Amino acid sequence: MNSETKNRIRRFSPVQRFFHLLLMLSFLTQGATGLARMYIETPWGKWLSWIFGGYESALTVHIWVGIFMICGFVIHFLYVIFKIDWRNFPGSLFGPDSLLLQPRDIKEFFQHVGWFLGIAKAPRFDRWGYWEKFDYWAVFWGMVIMGCTGLILAYPMDSTRFMPGWGLNVAFWVHRIEAILAMAHVFLIHFFIAHLRRHNFPMDRAMFEGSVDLTATRHEKPAWVARLEQDGKLEDSLVNESKIGRRVLFYLVGYAAMAIGVFLLAGGIINSPYITW
Amino acid sequence: MMKIMCEKMTILQAAAVLAVLLFLPGMVPAQEEMASAIRRYKDREASSGYYEEYEVMPRSRRIPVGVRGVGREVFPHSPSAAKVRIRTRLSDSHAGIKFYWNWRCEDCHVREAKDIHTVRANLTCRQCHGNEPIASIDHYRSPMNPIRRHAYVCAKCHEGASASFSTYVVHAPNPAMLSTKSSFPVLFYVFWVMVAIAVGTFVVFLPHTVMWGIRELFQKGEKR
Ligand code: HEC
Ligand code: HEC
Ligand code: HEC
Repeated sequence: MNSETKNRIRRFSPVQRFFHLLLMLSFLTQGATGLARMYIETPWGKWLSWIFGGYESALTVHIWVGIFMICGFVIHFLYVIFKIDWRNFPGSLFGPDSLLLQPRDIKEFFQHVGWFLGIAKAPRFDRWGYWEKFDYWAVFWGMVIMGCTGLILAYPMDSTRFMPGWGLNVAFWVHRIEAILAMAHVFLIHFFIAHLRRHNFPMDRAMFEGSVDLTATRHEKPAWVARLEQDGKLEDSLVNESKIGRRVLFYLVGYAAMAIGVFLLAGGIINSPYITW
Repeated sequence: MMKIMCEKMTILQAAAVLAVLLFLPGMVPAQEEMASAIRRYKDREASSGYYEEYEVMPRSRRIPVGVRGVGREVFPHSPSAAKVRIRTRLSDSHAGIKFYWNWRCEDCHVREAKDIHTVRANLTCRQCHGNEPIASIDHYRSPMNPIRRHAYVCAKCHEGASASFSTYVVHAPNPAMLSTKSSFPVLFYVFWVMVAIAVGTFVVFLPHTVMWGIRELFQKGEKR
């Protein structure tokens, strides 16, 4: 086989990429509709909610997209259950292909920081770096928290049958702070890591194209490539780079998402003194 | 013949009515309310719909009730300056308060005007607190009394409001304030735990990411 042209390692399956795309779109919608309502006292917020048809229909969109996300989360959960390697059960959870946090992640975190400071060698990451695991679990628990408080707030008459009404005050603040945390994390840290740092600049196409560049990965995730080589699986994991047309599309989608995110973040910060908290 | 004529007439009449409907402006409940930027629920409410500035205030009259503490200073709104709550069981919570009629609610009750119902939903105070006299919250016949608040107040707009739903704290205190620790402890602690999680994440990951970016910028060797 001519592995010359196949210079990329498969990293995400089409299903996983599809779910990431859905998450991306719905997350941005929730961010925009949520901020539209939160900032309704400011011209910026009025403009945002105008896009969604006004203060009230922004809420309708917010609730339905939220329910859509909860469904997506449930399907993802079933998918994970289905994907677990049950034959080697507890062991497989702690293997290098698992996203579960392990002691080595903590070690690698500190070693990585040491490398930033020039006092340690770069850690030899396997398939998932600790920041990628953190991203996954942050979204996982974020979905649980946002989904639960969101349902409570969306159906207050039903939820207050099982809890006192003042629980709505609490749910409201949990929903708000968690949303701010999630947006700031995604729009600042996740976007920076995936787009702007030199290794990935101008954009890490892994989540769109499904594969990563072999040479670059040898550099960043040496333990993963070495493991694939050792198991003789590297050859099978290699794929071609996708066509230029598709690559352009990936960049467009990626940069559009980043632009919207940065716009929401900047608008939120600039207008934050002008709303009643 | 007559029949055809009749039918023609009816068609003409219908057309005329249609034309009139088309060219007349649409029916609008009240211009003023339509003009408000965020107007919601008001159309659902079962009451006159006019509040505050439109209200004809009754003549100011002294209520022959002695309210403890009122009138000690020269011009007090309240002897307690609303710090100590002494007026929670009156049928007219403003009995004896000077210049009451010359002020608006939010001039005196600053904090109460900063909640979702007022700021976002554009409600007026009287849509919940009712006409004069404004009963204290815990007065035994006050519509705000928790035993009937859900039915007398909240259910006006929130269909099916239950007593449990109505324990929602409409004038929610600022969760960050130390005073909230005693007035609404759950909110206070949950708020600060959430803030700690958020701040903790950024204290770790912001410097981490910045350092990472700088380190990679000056990294030797191939880029990709
Ligand atoms: C001149 C200042 C002033 C104005 C104007 C005013 N209030 Fe008050 N209000 C007071 C004071 C002072 C108290 C007593 C506070 C206390 O003792 O804690 C009070 C008490 C109340 C209470 C009872 C609180 C309780 O604990 O039960 C309610 C309800 C209330 N006001 C609503 C209103 C509304 C609604 C308006 C507008 C229509 C209004 N107030 C206008 C000064 C004012
Ligand atoms: C959505 C209905 C609603 C609206 C609108 C509303 N209130 Fe209240 N108000 C309440 C309820 C319910 C309470 C009882 C205390 C609580 O649960 O917050 C209350 C309590 C109060 C109190 C007693 C002190 C306190 O904070 O508990 C004051 C004073 C008061 N309101 C003033 C106002 C003023 C002034 C406005 C207009 C800016 C207003 N309210 C608008 C529902 C309302
Ligand atoms: C005059 C109509 C009216 C009355 C009376 C009223 N509300 Fe509301 N309420 C609204 C409107 C309008 C909204 C929507 C606010 C928004 O979407 O920003 C709302 C929203 C709410 C919410 C959701 C807030 C959130 O955090 O999303 C709660 C809870 C609530 N009201 C409780 C009450 C309670 C409890 C009472 C009785 C003390 C009450 N309301 C009385 C009109 C009313």
